[in-house]
Amino acid sequence: MPRSLLIISRQAPWSGPNAREALDIVLAGGAFDLPIGLLFLDDGVFQLAAKQDAKALQQKDLSANLQALPMFGVEELFVCADSAAERGLDPSRFSLEEAQVLAAEQITALIDRYDQVITL
Amino acid sequence: MSTLHVLSHSPFGDDRLTSCLRVIGANDALLLTGDAVYALQPNTAPFNSLNARSLKLFVLAEDAQARAIEVPDWAKAIDYPAFVELSIHYDKVNSWL
Amino acid sequence: MKFAIALFSAAHAPSSRRALLFAQAALAGGHEIVRLFFYQDGVYNASGSIVTPQDELDLPKQWRAFVTEHQLDGVVCIAAALRRGVLDAEEAGRYQREAVSVGAPWELSGLGQLHDAVQDADRLICFGGA
Repeated sequence: MPRSLLIISRQAPWSGPNAREALDIVLAGGAFDLPIGLLFLDDGVFQLAAKQDAKALQQKDLSANLQALPMFGVEELFVCADSAAERGLDPSRFSLEEAQVLAAEQITALIDRYDQVITL
Repeated sequence: MSTLHVLSHSPFGDDRLTSCLRVIGANDALLLTGDAVYALQPNTAPFNSLNARSLKLFVLAEDAQARAIEVPDWAKAIDYPAFVELSIHYDKVNSWL
Repeated sequence: MKFAIALFSAAHAPSSRRALLFAQAALAGGHEIVRLFFYQDGVYNASGSIVTPQDELDLPKQWRAFVTEHQLDGVVCIAAALRRGVLDAEEAGRYQREAVSVGAPWELSGLGQLHDAVQDADRLICFGGA
């Protein structure tokens, strides 16, 4: 049984390489067919805001990679409800429809379910 | 399952401690390292919120010592061998990078 | 117990020193380190170009000595390294860059090595941030 790994992505999309380098870990795991989960927490929820324009900052569009996650076999996608609410974001408008919206206690249970976790 | 959460940022002007306390489980523990030990500065909101919770709280001794932070009796100061042991005792380690 | 240790912060970050001290304590406690994986700014810990004042802690040198002495598997994420200008001779040649800043005992490789270590180890410990 392969060990499962949860990646908790806490950074806004263009606050440096964090968001993209977190996603790279997820994509690499998916490519190796490993059980990987991805939780968007704190400013990480901003990665899912609709109508972002990466080109305005001469950056790569992350949302294309995020949409590709299920194709890489990564379907365990989660968003923290509190983080979204605090930041005035409506999860029903998120660019990643498959992401399950979780309350705090559900996040506690989620972290518990995985064998390992990386929070960046 | 149990998780050892590890913090290393100052709680002032940073939301890692708040977020961690929101999701930390009943079987989990929290280790303060680096500037996160400032959460034990008395008469502060972080100090009060940690004191109010019955949390298994550990502090890296060298970081408390360097910052002249007194470790209260509801927290335990540890060294690196104890840090290694803790990482084994808990099922996994979640460092809030 | 088998540990995988991942480091995400640069050599001057306090978390990088903590990672080394933890790694040393793990071996001293009779445990095994299956791999050290440097990612994000952690790649700088493998740089041979860092010059530390004589009266300061030379962490890259200490890491090198630690990995060499215990014959550990020290892997530096190649994508993160390239982006940060930490190149070995092969990459410097490939991209026609002048400076070669990483060599033995470090190996540049992909994120697959991190996943491999996570699968092999009993515990994954990450250091970074501050």
